[in-house]
Amino acid sequence: MSILAPNRRNLLIGAAGMAGASALPRIAFAAGPTDKRLVIVLLRGAMDGLSAAPAFGDPDYERARGGLATPRPGSEGGALDLNGYFGLSPALAGMHARYGKGEVILFHAIASPYRDRSHFDGQNLIENGSDQPYGLADGWANRALLGLPERLKSGRGDLGVALAPSTPLMMRGPARVTSWSPSILPAPAPDLLTRLKGLYDESDPRLARALSAAVTANAAQVGGAGGGGAFTALMAAAARFMKAPDGPCLAMVESNGWDTHANQLGPFGVLPRNLAELDRGLGALGEGLGDVWPSTAVLVMTEFGRTVAMNGTRGTDHGTAGAAFLIGGAVKGGRVLADWPGLSSGALFAGRDLKPTADLRSVAKAALRDHMGIDPGHIDRAVFPGSAAAPAMEGLFRT
Amino acid sequence: MSLQDAAIAANRFGLGARPGELRTIAGDPRGWLRAQLTPEADLPAPLKTLPSTEDDIAAFPRWIASIGLNAGSVAKLYQKGGAASAGMTDTMMKGSAHDAAKGGAPGLPPGVSIEQSFVKTFGPRYVTALQARMQVATTTDRPYFERLVHFWSNHFTVSSAKPSSVAMPPSFERDVCRAHAVGKFRGMLRASCKHPAMLVYLDNYLSIGPNSYVAKHPEVLPAEARGYLNGLNENLAREILELHTLGVRSGYTQADVTSLARIITGWGVKRGKGGGQFDETGGADASPLFRFNNYLHEPGTQTLLGKTYNQLGQEQGDAALRDIAAHPATASHIATKLVRHFVADDPPPSALEAIARVFRDTDGDLHAVCLALIDLPEAWSPSAMKFKPPEDYLISAVRAMDGKPQLTGYQLTALLDRMGQKPWYAAGPNGWADVEGEWIGPDPIWKRIEWADAVAKGVANAKVDPAAIAYEALGPALTPASTDAIRRAESPAQGLAIFLVSPEFQRR
Repeated sequence: MSILAPNRRNLLIGAAGMAGASALPRIAFAAGPTDKRLVIVLLRGAMDGLSAAPAFGDPDYERARGGLATPRPGSEGGALDLNGYFGLSPALAGMHARYGKGEVILFHAIASPYRDRSHFDGQNLIENGSDQPYGLADGWANRALLGLPERLKSGRGDLGVALAPSTPLMMRGPARVTSWSPSILPAPAPDLLTRLKGLYDESDPRLARALSAAVTANAAQVGGAGGGGAFTALMAAAARFMKAPDGPCLAMVESNGWDTHANQLGPFGVLPRNLAELDRGLGALGEGLGDVWPSTAVLVMTEFGRTVAMNGTRGTDHGTAGAAFLIGGAVKGGRVLADWPGLSSGALFAGRDLKPTADLRSVAKAALRDHMGIDPGHIDRAVFPGSAAAPAMEGLFRT
Repeated sequence: MSLQDAAIAANRFGLGARPGELRTIAGDPRGWLRAQLTPEADLPAPLKTLPSTEDDIAAFPRWIASIGLNAGSVAKLYQKGGAASAGMTDTMMKGSAHDAAKGGAPGLPPGVSIEQSFVKTFGPRYVTALQARMQVATTTDRPYFERLVHFWSNHFTVSSAKPSSVAMPPSFERDVCRAHAVGKFRGMLRASCKHPAMLVYLDNYLSIGPNSYVAKHPEVLPAEARGYLNGLNENLAREILELHTLGVRSGYTQADVTSLARIITGWGVKRGKGGGQFDETGGADASPLFRFNNYLHEPGTQTLLGKTYNQLGQEQGDAALRDIAAHPATASHIATKLVRHFVADDPPPSALEAIARVFRDTDGDLHAVCLALIDLPEAWSPSAMKFKPPEDYLISAVRAMDGKPQLTGYQLTALLDRMGQKPWYAAGPNGWADVEGEWIGPDPIWKRIEWADAVAKGVANAKVDPAAIAYEALGPALTPASTDAIRRAESPAQGLAIFLVSPEFQRR
């Protein structure tokens, strides 16, 4: 979704903005393949992990899932096989291909430390990074940025970017982050922008810098992703921000609408559409990042899983553990990491949910430590306080 | 006669000048401000039709019951009283509540999720209250007073971002911030701590003394409440010390937080019919819906900030709050926040000391403190040190354009949301940070420019003189550079847009 029509005048303003920016003193830095990128995708509403990644090899799978069981690989509408036991929803064909290239880790039976079932509280917890809802007033991704190695910090204006209209809790805090979202209003006339730039340059450096960055950001969005929905557009936008050598090295993208209480599958089902959009978004990100993809990792997470059994309206209710994905050229993938608790009735959490056997923070901590090079002490103290019971997982990344 | 001071009074202390206003107040800008510091004789008209406090407090439990989420247990808990007050519904939101198979909840039609029902129930309520707040702010003749109401509403944040307090901020703002804006700080603090909105938002209604009667005799609780009410909750006590009074890192310890939490155990909310016959009301400044339940209160003497409190019942908390309100750290903290709000992000030390001294000398008389703010020489410096937050920016724009455009409905909420400040939806109890870094990011500025461009096209026509509008709003604060840019605009609409996002109109 582009909010500036690509025309000559936009390009001129974009160039003017860039000229302004380059007039600022710069610290020299080497942009190269060592500059890592981390994208966090938060699926709000609680993705059904057993639909996204069916455990068709579990002897209880078909019985436990009933009408929601994904057919076995090879059957019509069947799961895309990963390792003979776990698969992916047929809507995740792009991700399946990347798994084949060794770029995807599926984590299953994973959850945050939150054990109740409120979306609001569950999202608040996985965004604030403490072990309780409202436990901290800012977000873990922002605090993490403070611990970036100097090499990644130097020469960067904004360390992170949130692809959202207002900065989500996860990205709020002391570190400098920017944000961008498509607008409900038409873009300002380019001529107005030129005049404002003149006025700001003359009298208000702070506004001048904000306008310059906004013009650059919006010019960068010109000619955005064709096809796909809002999420795909946001992922394409994230790529355009991060591809710049001095662009933000962490992006957060949100996707809404995963709360599938009714008719989640089938021709009009919400879930296959959401998954396909997620898949398209990941594709747009990879395509947009191009040669930066090998140093990129994408963490896809949700606030909690959903019930194992189908409810009375062919949907699922709020559950506990679910699935998460780590994707990207920097990921040592092609693996499923799960201490699988099983789906027999005795194995379920509270008699109804997939039992959590791994902590999402262990993956996030590994991404910050091993991928972004953030000091483990900073992570334990400031990013995920109280997470000693969830040590960073080892060996998730190519080195 | 000073137009320059008039512009400072109207913009820095107020909510922006309306056409003609600067000339009216130029005779005595300080007197114009001082005259606003009286208690309100009557509630502003737009606020009169909003729901009552009782209704705002009841709205969430009523919705829970209406969608059939354990309606039986909610009702039972309400009637039985005990520890299970209104906030019991938080448990209903979590727990087994969501398991209901039929479309999310038993009381909802198939295909309607709990979240959809939540948004449908509380969205219009929020929009109505926000429109009323906007209408008061864009039409008031007492903009300094209104700024103070908004300031305290942010200082004592109750946020709709927490579901169980979703409908409560408008009542809280009216009952606590508006009612005490020019009264004693101590009274406002008491009113805040004894208002159901704050008690629910910061969980104090769930807090029980570890040695209270109920903790020793859990069998008196309904079965559902036993696993839920399991002890002390420090949330409100911590924020009283950290945010509302002394300020963070002012020397209090975790032990002080725990002590204060014990001291205010039993401070809760009036329950429905049939329950709470042993509860006490809260006395002066308390909401009529406040109740103290001694069976939840931690008995015994407590030590807080080096002082011993041996009072019985809620008097222990009353005494502690009186002392905290009078603590020198509170004077400094409130002075810092007020000077930061009205003068500069980095408050000048001389101004801080002047205001803190008045706070201390008058025992926290906010009327005297607000008069002293007017007398700060630093407040009358012609260079604008503050950047308007999105809500005040929109309010001042509407005032400058003499009431146009009418900002209503979801258009208003979407606009504020995209500019980064949806009122009453601060992310946490610390409210919005009162510094320009919170508002001046690329995306929020872009959204302002988009809005200015769009709205100017709607408002301007051949008869509109944007330079005149700008001068009416800013007076001598309008710079020659902006005047030039406005005059050289290709159309009245473009000129108006340039004025609306000129540096001096975004700052004050």
